[in-house]
Amino acid sequence: MADDITSSSQTVPPQRPQALSQESQISATPIPKKPKQDRAPENDPGIWRMGRKSFLSFAGWLSFLGFIGISTVGALRFMFPRVLFEPPSKFKAGLPGDYVIGEVNEKYTEEQRIWIVREREGFYALIAICTHLGCTPRWLTAENKFKCPCHGSGYYKDGVNFEGPTPRPLERAQITVNDDGEIVIDKSIKFRYELGEWGKAGSFLKYVG
Amino acid sequence: MISPMEKLRKTEVYKSIFRHKYEDTPRNRALQIVDNVFLHLHPVRVPRHATNIGYTWGMGGITFLLFLVLTLTGVILMFYYRPTAQYAYEDMKYLMHDVPFGPLIRNMHRWGAHAMVITVMLHMFRVFLTGSYKPPRQFNWVVGVVLLLLTFLLSFSGYLLPWDQLSIWAVTVGTNMARATPLLGHEGPFGPQLGMRPDADVRFVLLGGTQVGPPTLLRFYVGHCIFLPLIATIFMVVHFWRIRKDGGISGPDTGKKNF
Amino acid sequence: MNHLLELVTKPDNIPIVGLLLLVIFYSWLAWTKARKNDSQQLPDEARLDDKVQVWPYLVRVEFLAMLVVLLILVVWSVFINAPLEEPANPALTPNPSKAPWYFLGLQELLVYFDPWIAGVVLPSIIIVGLMIIPYVDINEKGNGYYTFKERKFSILTFCFGFLILWVSLIVLGTFMRGPGWNFFLPWQDWDTHKVVVLNNVDLSEYFGMPSHFPDNSLNIAASAFGFLVIAAFYLSLGGWHYMKYKNSDVVKKLGLGRYALVLGLFLTMMFVVLKILLRLAPPIFGGYPVKYIWVTPWFNV
Repeated sequence: MADDITSSSQTVPPQRPQALSQESQISATPIPKKPKQDRAPENDPGIWRMGRKSFLSFAGWLSFLGFIGISTVGALRFMFPRVLFEPPSKFKAGLPGDYVIGEVNEKYTEEQRIWIVREREGFYALIAICTHLGCTPRWLTAENKFKCPCHGSGYYKDGVNFEGPTPRPLERAQITVNDDGEIVIDKSIKFRYELGEWGKAGSFLKYVG
Repeated sequence: MISPMEKLRKTEVYKSIFRHKYEDTPRNRALQIVDNVFLHLHPVRVPRHATNIGYTWGMGGITFLLFLVLTLTGVILMFYYRPTAQYAYEDMKYLMHDVPFGPLIRNMHRWGAHAMVITVMLHMFRVFLTGSYKPPRQFNWVVGVVLLLLTFLLSFSGYLLPWDQLSIWAVTVGTNMARATPLLGHEGPFGPQLGMRPDADVRFVLLGGTQVGPPTLLRFYVGHCIFLPLIATIFMVVHFWRIRKDGGISGPDTGKKNF
Repeated sequence: MNHLLELVTKPDNIPIVGLLLLVIFYSWLAWTKARKNDSQQLPDEARLDDKVQVWPYLVRVEFLAMLVVLLILVVWSVFINAPLEEPANPALTPNPSKAPWYFLGLQELLVYFDPWIAGVVLPSIIIVGLMIIPYVDINEKGNGYYTFKERKFSILTFCFGFLILWVSLIVLGTFMRGPGWNFFLPWQDWDTHKVVVLNNVDLSEYFGMPSHFPDNSLNIAASAFGFLVIAAFYLSLGGWHYMKYKNSDVVKKLGLGRYALVLGLFLTMMFVVLKILLRLAPPIFGGYPVKYIWVTPWFNV
């Protein structure tokens, strides 16, 4: 089949087809280029150096690629809706007097993924999401630590990591008291230890009672 | 006395379907392949080692068979499955307890998917060990790697659909790696510096939310049932076509052509 | 022992047992064929290159294979139900919590590397590395038949990656990782309360340089030290190899670009092994496991 396609064009010197048939059966014989009529001469300093046809070709390709590009951006943007229907990030967590000093309270862990820790000087709220890969760690009272079942990361009671693969401590959520004296926790406001945010207002609720 | 089968072969209906004679001749054997839209995936003749299962292990073909089985059982499962957090798990229970042959279809889908991952890996192992990616088959190996990746993604996206503890945690761990993507994830190197947030990064595209939730189920469902199979099909078409175009089954160069 | 039996017969673990047996069988098969081909002038496949007709000689093999596969699949599906656990509950993580089995190798790497390396960079390198194999393996021999003698480096590298780093880690992750992602031997019961001390230190601390000062600010010297360790790993091994082989035919034929690519990928594979060893080996000698080699404000390696 392919043997039929050999070059027998007149522009090829007579000895070449023989040499070619040994190397490759299909040869690309260059067709002599016609001088382009609509192209300005090389030494023409005019402003339309590009020529009408190549300009239209350039503009055509540019619009096509532009269309593809904008469509891609649009499709990507489509994946980010303007409104998210996720559970509210704020919740009330009862009166400060309900908590026992030194205890890690797990009352809201199931619903809100928050531990509320009562220390002598006050409260802090740890977000129960392992900073390694997002599993829910467990509070092990006997060993006085948080331990993640996914990859074995461990945290002290204050949330600082000390073992396993996790790169950083647990995050704290904003904890405040409202006008009725109830604890309010906002999970959307987070405090990260390694950024030095645990000293900021809201990361720790002073309470001595 | 003409047998009924022979009579049947003389009818116009039969002849309109099978366009060549029935006699066992080399010509009819060849026509059997070229006249059949499915079989003409194959060439008419192959080198003998292509039929030797010790050489090919048959893993590529088995992978394709499993893909077909998974497509069929998957479509059947779609009759009963609703991809919402409210119903997904209920529908699974329904399938497993109240639908006749429901468990069989679901089991075939699950075990077939596991088997396909295994056969795809073994296929790649064989192709490597026989050096079949070497010229002229380099590009088809690349297509094969893409298909390997698509197989993993198909299996992974299907993992979430039962909406049980196994699903949600495997997918939580899996998609949380995406938030650590360099540059594009909100916890990856240089991600926060480039303005990535939990609700605007590469992980969000997968989840449709800031955590694995109902929108994630829908996204994974569409990806699993429509998007990924479609892409995999396109790549499979190219893969099979290139096998033929690259000279059929690989084999040692003995100076003969394989097609 | 009962525990081992339970692990092996757990429905979702059956594919892994199957994978293990199949990989062992096929490795043995390929090895036997390669040895036989290497010992003779002409590979077996070259003796079988006469043409046969696809109908019936190939189609019947395919048909039989189809029947066997469907039979196995149907019997498997009739007798063993796919598991369906408790409904999804975001607040309760099962212990242990595992990725799909084919990703367990990557999940194992998550113990030794930060997620951006183990979960994103390494998988991407694996995929890209696989794709470029045909373009960097310029050895013309061994195309279309089993052999070992003619392409030792490529086969050893691939088998190390596939058999050791991929399949073995999957098996390890399935059968030897229990609650808290602690290590258990396959016949040991999974004790939820097993306590393993995992007090990791950064490599620079071995040399008296803590990676962070007491006020939690970064120690620039330790960071620079970590960078130097990694640079030294790549430059010394890579440089040594280049000096030794720069005049060999293979390196010349590859060209500097492709040679550097192969060397870089190979050293990265070795680096993964090195990091795992730095974590696992010190406790044997009474030292602390190494957590990071290189600590920076943006990422850690």
